[in-house]
Amino acid sequence: MLVKIVERVKEFSLPGKAGLVVILVVLLVAILAPYISIHPHNISSGPPLSPPGGGHPLGTDELGVDLWAQICYGARVSLLVGFGTALLAALGGGLIGIVSGYLGGWPDKVLMRLIDIMIVLPDLPVMIVLAAFFGPSLLNIILVLALFSWVFPARIVRSQILMLKERSYIKSAETYGAGVWYLMWKHFLPEVFPLVAVNMIRLSGRAIVAEAGLSFLGLGDPTSKSWGLIIHHATNFKGIYYTDFWKWWLLYPWLALIIMVISLAFISRELERMVDPRLGR
Amino acid sequence: MPRKCFLIVLLLVISLSLLLFGCGTDQARDDQKPGVAKGGEQQQVDIIRLAGGDWGYLSPYAHYPRGPGSFKMRLIFDSLLDRDEKGLIPWLAEKYEIKEGGKQYLFTLRDGVKWQDGKPLTAQDVKFTFEYASKYPMVSSSFSSEDIEKVEIVGNRQVLVTVSEPNAAMLYNLGLTPIIPKHIWENIDNPKEFTKPEAVIGSGPYRLTGYSKEHGTYRLEAFTDYWGPGQRVKVIEFVPVSEEILAFEKGEIDLAGVTPDVLPRFQNDPQYKVVKSPGFWGYRLLFNMGDYPVLRHKEFRQAMAYAIDANELIEKVARGAAVPGSAGILPPDHVMYNPNVKQYDLDLKKAEELLVKLGYDRLDQNAIRQNQNGEKLSFNLLVGDEVRLAEVLKEQLAKAGIEIKVQSVDMKTRDARVRENKYQLAITGHGGWGNDPDYLRERFAGRSRGGISPAASGLQGYKNDELNALLEKQRLEFDEQKRKELIFKAQEILAEDVPEIPIYYTTGYSVYRPAKYDGWMFMYDHHSLSHSKLSYLERG
Repeated sequence: MLVKIVERVKEFSLPGKAGLVVILVVLLVAILAPYISIHPHNISSGPPLSPPGGGHPLGTDELGVDLWAQICYGARVSLLVGFGTALLAALGGGLIGIVSGYLGGWPDKVLMRLIDIMIVLPDLPVMIVLAAFFGPSLLNIILVLALFSWVFPARIVRSQILMLKERSYIKSAETYGAGVWYLMWKHFLPEVFPLVAVNMIRLSGRAIVAEAGLSFLGLGDPTSKSWGLIIHHATNFKGIYYTDFWKWWLLYPWLALIIMVISLAFISRELERMVDPRLGR
Repeated sequence: MPRKCFLIVLLLVISLSLLLFGCGTDQARDDQKPGVAKGGEQQQVDIIRLAGGDWGYLSPYAHYPRGPGSFKMRLIFDSLLDRDEKGLIPWLAEKYEIKEGGKQYLFTLRDGVKWQDGKPLTAQDVKFTFEYASKYPMVSSSFSSEDIEKVEIVGNRQVLVTVSEPNAAMLYNLGLTPIIPKHIWENIDNPKEFTKPEAVIGSGPYRLTGYSKEHGTYRLEAFTDYWGPGQRVKVIEFVPVSEEILAFEKGEIDLAGVTPDVLPRFQNDPQYKVVKSPGFWGYRLLFNMGDYPVLRHKEFRQAMAYAIDANELIEKVARGAAVPGSAGILPPDHVMYNPNVKQYDLDLKKAEELLVKLGYDRLDQNAIRQNQNGEKLSFNLLVGDEVRLAEVLKEQLAKAGIEIKVQSVDMKTRDARVRENKYQLAITGHGGWGNDPDYLRERFAGRSRGGISPAASGLQGYKNDELNALLEKQRLEFDEQKRKELIFKAQEILAEDVPEIPIYYTTGYSVYRPAKYDGWMFMYDHHSLSHSKLSYLERG
């Protein structure tokens, strides 16, 4: 398995490899946050708004909280929200797609119309309303984001299942008495998994941006120090663009966010190219 | 869709221009009149734009109970008295008399005052206003039906108000009540719901000619038949801005609040003028003593006060533009400020001693103080936009073993929950700290006077008989010096009791371009340049 992955990775193009490295680094930073952050991330540890350098590699915000520490811990939130949402959406969406595709008939019709509705709904405004309604907490944000993300894997999985269930080997398995669960586990899941995985990467990128957006609007969890929240506090600082403070307070969380999302996009493109030869050329 | 929009706009433009042609002559006459009436030595300006935001419909019953709402309403509705730099000045009333040791107030109305719909303003309207406002308290009312015994009309231009008890603050409260037209309001039973165009007909210098709740915009135009000083500003517009300083630099707005960090940008440029505001806008930490017994211990509140480092908060959150709160409530800029009251500078040792005395003598694994029954000192702190303030406060109180869980909601929700006492600890920030010190009675002696302004939200569950007696006594005292002594004493009691903690009073800076408009002034008890009516009018 591991060898297979390494072989796959070797086929990656340069941006794809770079993306993978960056994500691994972010993952490491998130895991090792307590050890590499030097200063605490939630209480002040220096003079307010001190520029990068000295004891604070990326400077401090207006409360004197170290920015490097905040970014380290913020990586946890971003990754948690990104992959949590993607996993939840892929799991839910995949299941719904399999049910809908395999059963057909009226459950399929109902689910497909539901998906149509979800696609038409503008997601960000509804997310804002829901986030405001359920109150700011990390779990709520993941749930709300997942609620709007499951439709994509669901559609992809359904179309695959429709194709698969007409294949002769599935038909013969059925005549030998294979149950739904057996088929799902042995045949459907391995077939659709690569596609769902590609989708998950893309969804997590989207979720990270959405979480940052909600936090930026002040609808995020005020106690979870995410990158979006740092940006929110920075932009709420009156006249920040007329001072030098934005050069670290705003720039670094923004850079972290951009780099992470671009890396995810590269990886997702790379995987897509492998799974779907039509796109690769 | 765009085509349809375009057609509608075109139609509107055509109909508007037709309208204008129809009354072209009237328009011309209206425009000329103020120019003739004025000497012209004071600079005039066609339009002033200020940062907008929705503060409700501008009737005395529908605006939002905060400064930006009430001052806009006051531009439309004149009151018997108004405020300049030094104190109260005659306004709709050309003179006033206090009779019978403060039991009666005789206001003599100015002649020839007109409502904005053309009808004359009479003593009937004034009498009606006081009676109506005591039945249905206005948003910024500061008296209730209990306070007013009767209102009589004397002659044809005088109104005599008899109050149930003499009160040194009553002149202020009566004098600043916006006068509303009887012919419009007399049949209205639910004034809060009355938001028709007639609801904003007042006798003030400006008429409301545009309001959009969604965009938070207002347009106020000079009322040409205004009785009083000419309007130096013809139109005041409130426009939405996202970055105030950016909008000011681009000339989109004409007055902006700036923080000390961007001050150097404006300070040395002769094009701009920077003004420092007096500290009459402050934050206070509220304790809900009614519902949470532990907060009733004076020692606990004192310990909190000792654990809070106002200077750190000012340095970080206010960027230095504030003065620390005085435990005696009244801010240092107040005329009756007592500089000798007990103050609670940061002293964690004392805080600890006090908490141990109350039985909170052990720490749990998270360094939170608890007593022998395992009751922890852990509280929810309700805040509006003051998340950063709350974060520092949380950090400071943690050092004394008090755990704070910050709960942040939007400003209007916070105000409503504070009003309904649905909180444990709360931070609220508002103006009005420079007002007549009778507000102490309102806050601490449970004598709410009917208004719903956040400055008036009293404290549930606090009672100190000595303080109540003092505050009752001061309001009957018309001798300024003796009253000051009583207020000084009250501040001492408040400083000892700490029923609430004033955190700091902001002293922000405002910047404007004198070449464009230089009429800005502060009222004697207020923190904002744009909030004074006289800022927009000719001065004698």
